[in-house]
Amino acid sequence: MTKPGKTLEFKFERRIPAPPNEVFDAWLNPKIPGNPWHLADKFTLDPKVDGLFYWSAKGKGIYGRFTEMERPGRIQHTWVSPNTLGHESMVTLSFEKEGEDTLMTLVHSDLPDHELARGHEKGWNYFLDTMREQFADGSRLDQRRDGAHPREATKK
Amino acid sequence: MERLSDVLTAISHPTRRAIIAKLANGPARFLDVAEPFDTALNAVTKHLKLLERAGLIEREKRGREVLISLRGEPLGEVAGWVHEYERFWNSRLDQFEQYFKEKKKKEKKKQ
Repeated sequence: MTKPGKTLEFKFERRIPAPPNEVFDAWLNPKIPGNPWHLADKFTLDPKVDGLFYWSAKGKGIYGRFTEMERPGRIQHTWVSPNTLGHESMVTLSFEKEGEDTLMTLVHSDLPDHELARGHEKGWNYFLDTMREQFADGSRLDQRRDGAHPREATKK
Repeated sequence: MERLSDVLTAISHPTRRAIIAKLANGPARFLDVAEPFDTALNAVTKHLKLLERAGLIEREKRGREVLISLRGEPLGEVAGWVHEYERFWNSRLDQFEQYFKEKKKKEKKKQ
């Protein structure tokens, strides 16, 4: 389905209502919700160039090494997980001042493309589960007539 | 991408999702598909056409009957469209953003 060696890249942006140095520090603080180290069962974190990190959750381990650390503008580190099939993928974060806020950009690149196949598989299950949920609540087909779904529209 | 749009359109309607769910149990005849719905048969026909255009169903003639069966592959494409890492980072970044939003709210209250 896919050519070997092809990689994927995902980009995310968020506008955070705080100055870049605060956002930068929060991203590296495991106590703050949302960063990768938060809620890990176990972790080590040495946020400097050539420093290593490791965290595990639900028996799955993620490893990496920091390749760039420029407070408050930029962090880059590798990301190795079962989903990257042991390959080093790359996570690049940038924090740009925008008025009183910070425009935070996260790019996850060099993800092996065959992972997409796994995504398919998972997505498939997700889909089927959602479908199952929708139809397992007893409302089934009789309540799903054309033009009679206001309840369903607000349910999910 | 056009195919993805067709599939998303196809699954955007509760009746069509119900049809998919029914066909997930195995192929069915047109009247069996239409039977649970309190709607005109030609409305069901329209729904089936949309599903067919999206590649989600197939019709097969067996003797005098036409059997309709589900083809799952396009649903897999839709699901694969949202990659695991998209889900992971979006949920993390949402939490992160939320943390700062709440922090700001609290700070405003104090002032």
